[in-house]
This record gives sequence, C-alpha cells and structure tokens, in this order.
Amino acid sequence: MRKRLILSFALALVALLGVGLVNAQDALPNDGAMAGTDMDLTGVTIRMATIGNAPYELAYTFIPMFEEATGATVEIVFKGDGFQIDKKLTQDYATGAVDYDVAWDHTSFYSAYVPYLEPLNAYFSEEELAQFSPAIINASTIDGNLYVIPRHADISVVHYRTDLYEDPANMAAFKERFGYDLAAPTTWRELGDQATFFANPGENFWGTQWAGKEEGLSGRFYELLVANGGNLFDADLKPIFNNEVGVATAQWLHDLYQAGTLPPDMTNYLWPEVAANFCNGQMAVYTEWYGWYSYFQDPASCPNVAGKFGLVRAPVGDGGIHSGWAGAHGYSIPASSQNKQAAAQLIKFLTSEFVLTEESRQGALPVRNDVWARIQGDAESAERQLDRDRLVLAQTQLNEDFFTPPLIADWINASNIIYPAIQEILITPDIDIQARLDQAAADVEQMMTDAGYYDS
Amino acid sequence: MAAEPLSTVTQATTASARPKRRGSRTATWFPYFLIAPAIAIILLVVLFPLIYSFYLSFTPYRLLKPETLAIRWDDVLINYRRLLEDDIFWRAFGNTIIYVAVTVNLQLVLGLFLSQLLARVTRGQSILRTLIMVPMMFAPILVGFQYGWFFNATVGIVNGGLRDLGLIQTPIKWLVDVPLGMISIMIADIWMSTPVVAIILLAGTLSLPSEPFEAAEVDGASPWQKFRFITYPMLGPFITIALTIRSLDMARAFDIAMIMTGGGPANRTELAWTYINRLALNDRNFGLGSAMSFVTVVVTLVFTLYFFRQLIKSRIVY
Repeated sequence: MRKRLILSFALALVALLGVGLVNAQDALPNDGAMAGTDMDLTGVTIRMATIGNAPYELAYTFIPMFEEATGATVEIVFKGDGFQIDKKLTQDYATGAVDYDVAWDHTSFYSAYVPYLEPLNAYFSEEELAQFSPAIINASTIDGNLYVIPRHADISVVHYRTDLYEDPANMAAFKERFGYDLAAPTTWRELGDQATFFANPGENFWGTQWAGKEEGLSGRFYELLVANGGNLFDADLKPIFNNEVGVATAQWLHDLYQAGTLPPDMTNYLWPEVAANFCNGQMAVYTEWYGWYSYFQDPASCPNVAGKFGLVRAPVGDGGIHSGWAGAHGYSIPASSQNKQAAAQLIKFLTSEFVLTEESRQGALPVRNDVWARIQGDAESAERQLDRDRLVLAQTQLNEDFFTPPLIADWINASNIIYPAIQEILITPDIDIQARLDQAAADVEQMMTDAGYYDS
Repeated sequence: MAAEPLSTVTQATTASARPKRRGSRTATWFPYFLIAPAIAIILLVVLFPLIYSFYLSFTPYRLLKPETLAIRWDDVLINYRRLLEDDIFWRAFGNTIIYVAVTVNLQLVLGLFLSQLLARVTRGQSILRTLIMVPMMFAPILVGFQYGWFFNATVGIVNGGLRDLGLIQTPIKWLVDVPLGMISIMIADIWMSTPVVAIILLAGTLSLPSEPFEAAEVDGASPWQKFRFITYPMLGPFITIALTIRSLDMARAFDIAMIMTGGGPANRTELAWTYINRLALNDRNFGLGSAMSFVTVVVTLVFTLYFFRQLIKSRIVY
C-alpha cells in the first residue's frame, strides 16, 4: 500500500514536471529561430568562461533549453567583468591552462588572443553569417579568419536626466550663467557646461562621470580625441595623442575633475559603479552603453531615474566629429578546445535570433538583421516614445559613428600606459599636461618598438 | 684472565662493527628515502618555477607572445636596467618600505598595548581574546572590500560620518590623494593584523617568570618601571618573532591594496606587489615582472636575515 502510494506520488511528480516543461516551451518569450540545437550532443560537456553582471546574465538563463534540446551539459566555469576575464584568458592562453570550449571575447581584446583561437569560418555557413552586421563581422576578422561571433554591439549614447533638464528653475539659471538654453548636449563643450552646472559635491551629486581606469578611461579619452579631430596613432602606428589636440582634450578632462564636476574617486570606477551612480540618481548627464537601458527604465531597480531620462546621440567634439568608440561582445572558441563542434553549436544558440532578441529587448544593441527587425516591430507598439527613438538613434550611431580602437594585438598594453597618464592629469592640480602626455607617448612607442611594430 | 692479543681485539671489533656500519648506512639513507617524495614535490613546485622565472627575468617575454621567450644576448640585463630607470618602480619601492616600516611598527605598538591590557584582565579574558582575534578571521580580500567601502569618497561611511557631523562640506578623497591613499590601506592592514602581534605578545607576557616582578615590587618599582625594565626586555624574543612574522607576511597586503586602490590612481599607491602584478599580468610584460619579483625577493631576504640576526641577539640578552 505504502509502496503504491510512493509510486503514485512519483508518477504524479513526473507528470507535473512534464506539463511544466511543455508549458515552458509553449511560453517562449519570442518566436525567433533558435540555432545550434539540431545536433545530438548527448554526453558532451561544454565548458564556458564568460562575462557576468546585469546586462549579460539573461542569455545564460536560456542555456537549459540548449541542454535539453541537444543532450549536452554546459558548465560556466568563470564569470567576471570584461577586464577580469581578459586577464584570465590572457593567463590561460599563455600557460596552456585553457579548460573551456567557449570563451567570451570582444573586438577590443581578441587581436591579442588570435594565435590561441580557432578560426570560425568552417563552423558557420555564409548563410548563417549573412544575418550579422557586416561591419562587426569585419571587425572580428583578421587575415580572412573570423575569430569572434558577435553577441551585441557597444556604442555610447548620452543619458541625461529629463526631470532636471526640463525644470524651469534650472533652465533659467543655466541660461543666465552660460548664455544659451539648457537642452540635451550636442557638443562635448555643452556637456561640460551642463555637468558643471548640475554638479553639487556637497550633496553628493555629480555633473557627469565615466569609468575612470583601465580601457574604460583610455577608451573615453580616445573617443574624445577623435571627436576633437585627433587620434591615438598615425598611419604608421606612432603615438600622436600628445599633440595639441591631445593636450586640449586632456585639459578639458582635467578642468572638469578639478572643478568638482566628476566624483573624486572616479579613478576607481569601472562600468558597474558608474551605472550604479546614474541608477541611484547621483548624476545629471553622461555617456553610457545602450545595454543598461531596461535596467535604468525599471522602477524596481532604478526608481530615481526610471522614466526620467532621455537619450541623444554622442556629442561632437571640436573637430566636428561625433564620438563613437565602439565594439562588440561575442564568443570565441579556444584552439585547444576538445569539443569545437559542440562549442560552435552553443555559440550558434547563444547568438541565435531567439536569444539575441531577448537580450536586445533588455537593451543590448542587436548585431543581427533579423533581431533589428523584431525589436523595431516590438517598439512600434511600445508606450514609451523613447523605446522607439533609441533604436533609430542606435542605428544612426552604428552606421555613422562606429569606430573601434586600433585592432592591434597590443591595444590593451597601450591602453595600460595611457590610462594612468590620464588619471594623473585628472587628479593632479598643477600638472604639466604636455609633459605627461609626452612621457606616455614615449612609453607607448617604446612598447610598440619592443613588440616589433616598426620593424620594416 | 689473560689478556687477548691486540690484533685479535681489533679484528673482533672490526668484525662486529661491519654489520653495524651497514645497518647505520641504511639508517642514514632511510629518512632521505622517506622524505624524497616531499623534496621532489618541493623541487617541482618551488625550485623549478623559481629558476624558470629567474630565466624569464632576463628575457623580454610578454604573455601571449611565445616568440619573446628567448634571452636577448645583446642586452641581457634589459629588464633590470629598465627597472632602475623606471620612476614608478622607485615609487613602488619607496611606498613599500614606508608601508612595511609604518604598518609593522604601529602594529607592534598597538599589539603590545593590547597584550598588556589583556594580560591584566582578570574576568572574561577568554572572551576578550576571542574578540580580539576576530579581524584575523577575515580574508584579506574581504578586508579590502570593507575598507574600500569605508573610505569611498562619495558613499563611504567615513565621509558620510564626517559630513553628518558637519566637519566637511566636500568629500575627502581618501583613496585618491597623497598620502591619504597609502594611509587608508595601512589602516586596513593594521586593523587586520594587529591581533596577530597582540596574541604573540600576550603569550610571551603570560610565560614570563614572576620572580623579577616580585623583586621589583619589593624594591618599590612603579608599573611603568616594571614594564620598561622587566617586561619589555624580557619580551624581546617575542617582539622579534612578531616583527619577523609580520614583515614576511606583508605580501598579504597585496589583496587589500589591490581591492582598495589597485595601486592607483596614477600609481600613487603602488606597492612592490601591486606593481609586479601590473607589469606581469596587466601589461603582460612577464620578463619585467619577473625581474621586479627577484629584486623584491632579494630585499625581502635582506630583511629576513636582519631580523633573524636580531632574534639571535635578543635570545643572548635574554
């Protein structure tokens, strides 16, 4: 009797689970095509080292669907921010300690890993690749070999607090102080004025801010430099960021920091800290990736800014050029992987129309044409005007402003020389900016000489 | 009993000694045989990497560039030369010396003070001893996060408290300004490691013989005189042990410094260990990072030798 009861209970449980699975399948969040699930991978374990944090986690919640469809097991063996995972990949590739089959990658980083990556051309058909943005596929290709399958694009857009910008008292006070109307910034000079106007250090409120270290800072300097008509390197890869455009750009950053417009310990911030400060309502205007959009719009996560911010195209600098430091997150397969085909299947799934539609609905910028079409379709019925406008804005930026850092293996090494120099320029009241940039340029040139960039 | 001829005695002795010597040879080698696996593992995990990194310190090796693994014979000492010409190296070195000197000495003073207080507590001593050891239970990385938050300029508890008390209007840049950055890291380390010193010195204090104190009592010595002329000199070996342990353990401060400032901003709080990490892992310049490691090892060895000499001296005095 007791046995029968237990058996009945177990059967009922199995039936309930089955119904649950069927319902879960029925309740898929979108009807975009899945990919990578057409192969039997029973018994195969695919290990993955990838990026974590709020905008990236959603994709991983779909992995059980891949496991169920293919029979494979997916283990995420490492998660960290972009810089943490770069360090892990660098050490693992160099020491041969790679024990995973799928690795996070980025257009800013992958050039250094190339000798240790599997070219992906053989695993993805022309038809499959045709869905991705050609510009990003090109930025992921070196010497005809494709190394990264893109996941979503990164380009900065101005986030500004509409409640502050539309406040009549602020508008009047700003006009009186600066002589022109307070409106979303179209130039970096305007953004600087507005940040200075809104900054109130005594109230722990800051005009603007950015990631203040690592590539977060050197990349920001780079895009400002380009917007002002300068660049980091000339055509021969000789550093030129210490010219007069570079000095003026660094001077502008220095002045903002010294005026108390930027948080005093910004030099310790990376992306999550900066996003948290905007979310907490401690900042008026700044440039941020699109990926945080739904997080900021969610009253549960960011009650201080949800529904109270606008987006505009990244400003132009003194050179009349829009900032557009950009790149794309993606996935690669280490050359040492023992499960390359299975890894490719998982990448196909994670970059499928189905998964990327969900990531893009959350805010990430699509890299697939079919996903663009879907989220534009979604946006047509959106209640918020900004949900629609941001997509038009993003497409404009990706088409017209997108530029990556130099696609050289030593970009991060150069960045690691540049960012401490910019930090020093920011935080040191009486600094000879020209001399500090000269020193950084000489150090970068020495590093590039050692690396053989100038060997003819 | 007639005496045996000498040669017979000698022969007998020799004969009886032979198997004994064979036995003692076995006995001599047997311990080595037993510890051979341990020695092999130590050679594998300590000596080989040490020799390899010493070799790397003469190469321009950069991570992800295996072609740079060979020594450049035209400039073998390139890494050591570049280090000596590197301002940040000297800054990191200076910071490290100041950091070790200030932190270890303050830990000694505070640890000595705490140990003397604890030694005189008559009730609840075990609870107090447990409480004082609480900071030792935290991983250095957690201490780094905790103090990084305390000293955060915008949301930190220190600036928040000072602002609420009306003592400051604008945030103090604890982790940015010179020398506040270094001081903040030192405070975290002192909080974490003073209990180690206190516990060692408490053990020493409790083990001191009572006769000198009784004699001083009879002579009418004041508490300060008893501390100055009896307790302190007799604690000499314990103080040296505590100083040695803390000085050699200082590399643990790497975790705290990395979490709180990462050696920045602009290398302002760079210590030898954070700079090695920056060179070898961030900048991927493993050759230069290895050279800096060896310079640090040599300096640490000099410190160790100095402390051990002091230890031996203080034992003689005691």
